Amino acid sequence: MNKEEILSKVKQAFVSVLDHENFQLTYETTADDVDGWESITHMMIISEVEKSFGIKFKLMDLMNMNNVGDLIKTIESEL
Amino acid sequence: MKFVNKLQESIENHAAHNVLCINNVFYTYRDFAIEISKIRSAVTNVVDDSEKLIGLVTNDDIQTYASIIALWLEGKAYVPVNPTTPKERNTKVFELTETKYVIDSSESSIYEDHTVIASAALDDTDINLKPKDVSGDQLAYILFTSGTTGLPKGVPITFDNVDALVNAIDAEPEFNLTPSDRCLQMFELTFDFSVVTYLFPLLSGSCMYTIPKGAIKYFYIFKLIKEQKLTVLTMVPSIINYLRPYFPEINAPDVRYCSFGGGALHSDIAKEWSDCLPNCKIFNYYGPTEFTVYSGFYPYHKETDQKAHNGIIAIGTPQKDTLYLVVDENNKEVAIGVTGELCLGGPQITPGYWKNEERNAISFFTREENGKPIRYYKTGDLCFKDEEGDFLYVGRADFQVKIRGYRVELAEIEFHAKSKSEKKVNMVALDITNNLGNAELGLAIESEEFDTTEIFDHMKTKMPGYMVPTHVRFVKEFPHSINGKINRKELKTYFDIQ
Repeated sequence: MNKEEILSKVKQAFVSVLDHENFQLTYETTADDVDGWESITHMMIISEVEKSFGIKFKLMDLMNMNNVGDLIKTIESEL
Repeated sequence: MKFVNKLQESIENHAAHNVLCINNVFYTYRDFAIEISKIRSAVTNVVDDSEKLIGLVTNDDIQTYASIIALWLEGKAYVPVNPTTPKERNTKVFELTETKYVIDSSESSIYEDHTVIASAALDDTDINLKPKDVSGDQLAYILFTSGTTGLPKGVPITFDNVDALVNAIDAEPEFNLTPSDRCLQMFELTFDFSVVTYLFPLLSGSCMYTIPKGAIKYFYIFKLIKEQKLTVLTMVPSIINYLRPYFPEINAPDVRYCSFGGGALHSDIAKEWSDCLPNCKIFNYYGPTEFTVYSGFYPYHKETDQKAHNGIIAIGTPQKDTLYLVVDENNKEVAIGVTGELCLGGPQITPGYWKNEERNAISFFTREENGKPIRYYKTGDLCFKDEEGDFLYVGRADFQVKIRGYRVELAEIEFHAKSKSEKKVNMVALDITNNLGNAELGLAIESEEFDTTEIFDHMKTKMPGYMVPTHVRFVKEFPHSINGKINRKELKTYFDIQ
């Protein structure tokens, strides 16, 4: 799976949790840039991403995730 | 006012100790004393002595904490407002309390109709932590909780109330903070639970660790536990519900105390969490805002003390000077083992809701005990007392729910949802449990599908974010029970969010 495919799958997870598509996802996107992305929805997005990729994140990785780029890198390392 | 004197002593005696860690920056008690003195000096220069209620914008910085202490030293109360809550609601709070002055550490303040004390830009001054002589029936703070009529409900707490809380916790031999403790302070200062998470560390010379706004709080808490080796955790149960999938990776031997409050603690998760904290005492606290945060606790232990009802850990016994009474609809005490409404009496009880006689007549009553009148607050929580004297939680008596620890009146959400809707249709707010076991809010609308953008935009201007429903379902016809009431339980099944 290439980076674009991963990003597009991640976007689907965001849309399904946040119920809107008014955002761009790039590597630099953080919670500040996306309406509704906060502590609770973050947990739901993480769980959605885990489901759709069939992976399980480690708490140590989640703890230091600051933007979408970090998320993509962690997904890549799990695939 | 004894606790204010104790605060002075503690701040002076621990000058070189850290008081706060905010976003990886440490501040000492000396830094704290300087900020307190600067704000205090500004308050005495700017604010009329007769003005007792002062607004406080709750940013995550040393000035905001210092403002609370500065106001207390001056015998004044803080009226906190959250900077992320709609301005209209915050202004309403100031209007209800007739607050003219606002302490705000923000770079520029949006409260231009008030006299703002910009607490982050004050001149240096000599340290002065000597409290003014103030009568104990003066207010220490007013917090606003969700109200059924669309207006938030003010709960005033006096210096005597806080003194009684400090007294009760001091009398508890199982819980003693020391200057070397590192304590989690994860609460917004508009939430009453925050009072114990800043006050007890300050009284003991311990250090508090806050959660920066914008951080993913569940992971940030774990990061603090791991990297800063926190020793004292005070949390709402929803935190561990969200962390639960990662419990196998958590081992925190430094944590000595973990206190829960603000919601039902379930026994299965309490046991699993307890496995993550091998050297920790767990307390399940109970108490409403109206009774100054805590009224009592149950000391949980995964092997020896795990009393529960329907999987919810007991709330235990009342603390020093507090009385628990379980009553029926006529405010008459019920027998042991019988479920009724839990009522609380004692020195921590609020003088009554702010300018709300109607509500006060419903929520408080006085009862003669041993020839003395005792005033009780009706909590709205259903409980029973067992043979050993422990109290067990059964559920709520009304339509109030807890969302992330905050009390929410479903009626208030319905009020705001309907008030802007062009379509006059039935709307019901519901608390729905998601697959992680946490409550989320849903809005059921009795109608064909239509665009709800306007309704939601309106709700976002009227209520804090946690009160805006995250799920909407259109139902052609609401299910009803035999006696004609909307069947909320069945309505919840329309929300498939598992």
